[in-house]
Amino acid sequence: MAIVNLQNVTYKYPLTDSPALQGINLQVEEGEFVAVIGPNGAGKSTLCYTLAGFVPHFFKGELTGTVEVAGNESQNSTLSEWVLNVGLAFQNPFNQISGAKYTVFEELAFGLENIGIPRQEMKTRVQDAMKLTGISDLADRSPYSLSGGQQQRVALTSILVMQPKVLVLDEPTSQMDPIGTREVFGVIHGMAERGLTVILAEHKVEWIAQFADRVIALKEGQILLDGTPAKVLTSPLLQENGFGISRYTSTARRARETGLWGKQELPVTLEQAVEGFNSAFPHGEGQGVNAK
Amino acid sequence: MKIEIKDLHFTYPSGLEALRGISLMIESGEQVAIVGQNGAGKTTLVKHLNGLLQPAGGQVLIGDWDTAQHSVAKLASRVGYVFQNPDEQLFSKNVGAEVAFGPKNLGRSAEQVQALVKDALALTELTDKTETNPYDLSATWRKMVALASIISMDTQIVIFDEPTTGQDAVNVARIANVIAELRNRGKTVITITHDIDFCAENFERVIAMSQGTILLDGKANDVLGQEETLATTYVDPPQLTRLGKRLGFRNTVRNQEEFLNNLQGRV
Amino acid sequence: MHERLSYYVKRDSALHRLNPLTKIVLALSIILVSFVSPWYWTAPILLFLVVIPLSFMGRVSREYFITVLRLIVPAAGFIFIMQALFQPVGETVIFKFWFLDVTHESLLFAFRVAMRITVMISAFTLLLMTTHPSELMSDLTRRGLPGQFAYVVISSLQILPQMQAKAQTIIAAQRSRGLDTQSTFLRRVGSLAPLVGPLVFGSLVEVEERAIAIEARGFTSTHEKTSLHDIPDTNLDKTIRWVLTGLVILVVALKLWLS
Repeated sequence: MAIVNLQNVTYKYPLTDSPALQGINLQVEEGEFVAVIGPNGAGKSTLCYTLAGFVPHFFKGELTGTVEVAGNESQNSTLSEWVLNVGLAFQNPFNQISGAKYTVFEELAFGLENIGIPRQEMKTRVQDAMKLTGISDLADRSPYSLSGGQQQRVALTSILVMQPKVLVLDEPTSQMDPIGTREVFGVIHGMAERGLTVILAEHKVEWIAQFADRVIALKEGQILLDGTPAKVLTSPLLQENGFGISRYTSTARRARETGLWGKQELPVTLEQAVEGFNSAFPHGEGQGVNAK
Repeated sequence: MKIEIKDLHFTYPSGLEALRGISLMIESGEQVAIVGQNGAGKTTLVKHLNGLLQPAGGQVLIGDWDTAQHSVAKLASRVGYVFQNPDEQLFSKNVGAEVAFGPKNLGRSAEQVQALVKDALALTELTDKTETNPYDLSATWRKMVALASIISMDTQIVIFDEPTTGQDAVNVARIANVIAELRNRGKTVITITHDIDFCAENFERVIAMSQGTILLDGKANDVLGQEETLATTYVDPPQLTRLGKRLGFRNTVRNQEEFLNNLQGRV
Repeated sequence: MHERLSYYVKRDSALHRLNPLTKIVLALSIILVSFVSPWYWTAPILLFLVVIPLSFMGRVSREYFITVLRLIVPAAGFIFIMQALFQPVGETVIFKFWFLDVTHESLLFAFRVAMRITVMISAFTLLLMTTHPSELMSDLTRRGLPGQFAYVVISSLQILPQMQAKAQTIIAAQRSRGLDTQSTFLRRVGSLAPLVGPLVFGSLVEVEERAIAIEARGFTSTHEKTSLHDIPDTNLDKTIRWVLTGLVILVVALKLWLS
């Protein structure tokens, strides 16, 4: 049974003319790690909000089609019920800090207080979650004294602590520096490893290629491509439609035109590129004409 | 209009010594990227160029002006600064008025302002949005409005603070086009960026900073090839540079053209 | 940069250990007694025999005296002068200041008003110095204060300083576009839009995101809420509250009986 089931979903924000999502059909199995790519305005955020129940319950607007996520149905469940099963985190870590708590530990417990978890269980959940995401040393710090990467990890942990079945992440590393990006992806990867279903909207194609089971390319509210990272991220449709792709992919594609890339599949990651370019010619690493 | 920085020192009121004796020179028309980890002093350094910060020791010269002797408003006629978050500067009722704000402050005549605005809007593909309220635009276009507002000031020197953060590939390409056009017009462009690929493909000179000092300063190909040194300030080399190294290229490559040329040479 | 707006001083003292509601009742009792009592020496007696000893008991006497110097003396002093000069009571003119008469009665009146203000500000200051804002709000919420109200108060305390930082960045950005922040007054009034505009619009965007974030953590859930920290309400607390309430009623009754 799919844990996410979207059938023919179309959605229009209030006071707008064109739909943000059109005819979306999407099924996700439990434990899958699905990445969503697309230019800004393609509907990635709207899709994330739909999966988390904020469309339509927070944003209102017109939603048609079936939306079933982790046992919640958009027509029947309230937002309070949604958030118990689906966690949502987004770009700006600063805006995800409640402001109601003075230490990271209390901040993490904020959600649990709201849903009425008993005190002892609250403490256990927070401690376990901090260990999982590696922020135990930040427990007594004020959330506002942290770096962007630390804040984002706190935001992710505060969602984890609610024990959702599905995790929806809307470009969580867009505003991070390289270190923050690495930290955040480490946490996300850890969550995925533990069997959580993860849906991640992202631009950073190299990271997606490393961790995702499946990639969905969204354009103007519709699904353009849906498949494995290898297939989707090397598809020529991406470059034609203004998606960001890995430079390894675009370079290998050009190299192929002059016969300098022999393999059938194009690379997405560094390792794939190294392997591919080396196998085209029997020089191997460091043994070519240009070797030092 | 040269930029001369002589033994610049700066300490924040909190006691943090952000700049420990920076000396460098940037010639008119150069394209320079400044990279390095958070806290290295990059933003602190560029804030001295338009007078937002004043040196605790040393001197900063913008052409023949010592920044210690001119207000920020005055220096704005020579140095344009595009801040990272467009929402921290947009306030006008429409894009046209927003873009006109800068040149008006600089005392340009009405005709000049009109011409500068028209040009800046065309460069940033905003001409059809002139009458739109900036806050009715998406984040992507608000970024372009912010860029246009500084371009219209027609300063010799333009500083970009993390221009590509959070932008999709299409907008990064637009921003790269804007920078290329500024280069054609002979402007001095200085950028702070974490996007090392963007840096490699658009800037000829790279300065790597760490803990208030300059680690590396030179041509992009030279600097970007020094993996170990860059690693100390948490900078990874660009994708194609890394690939080239792994494939045993003799030269350091920094973009697709160079990579493919070197690949040919390998055969 | 301060991470929060708050008078709270972290220390362990008898006052700190009292329940927040008890301290609120204590502050209100002191203020009510000083305002209700007809004798003009009630307020100074409360100040010296109750407020100052309390500040020692709460181990915040140093911070309290700093607040006295910085805030209370200027405020109360100003009010004293204004009342003495402009209060049209009394006939025994002590001296003339320009065209204003300062009478014996107006001096007494001014003294009483200034002392009441002093006691009022002091009582609240002691309350805020010995009670962590989040404990205060937590306890009141438990007793029925709407959760949304408590959230607005606490988050403002933390977010306003952040907004100050944002305002600084906005000023820097607009100065970099040639906005002159040092010119004539009229020009500076004209610079309000470029400074306030981004702050307001930017905050609207932030507020929506924050609303989504707290919603995602069950903020509007109708579940009965639990709390991480236990705020004790001891028998001593309850006794103190009853005694204070009794005292205030006594003083009010006394005033009514005497007048």
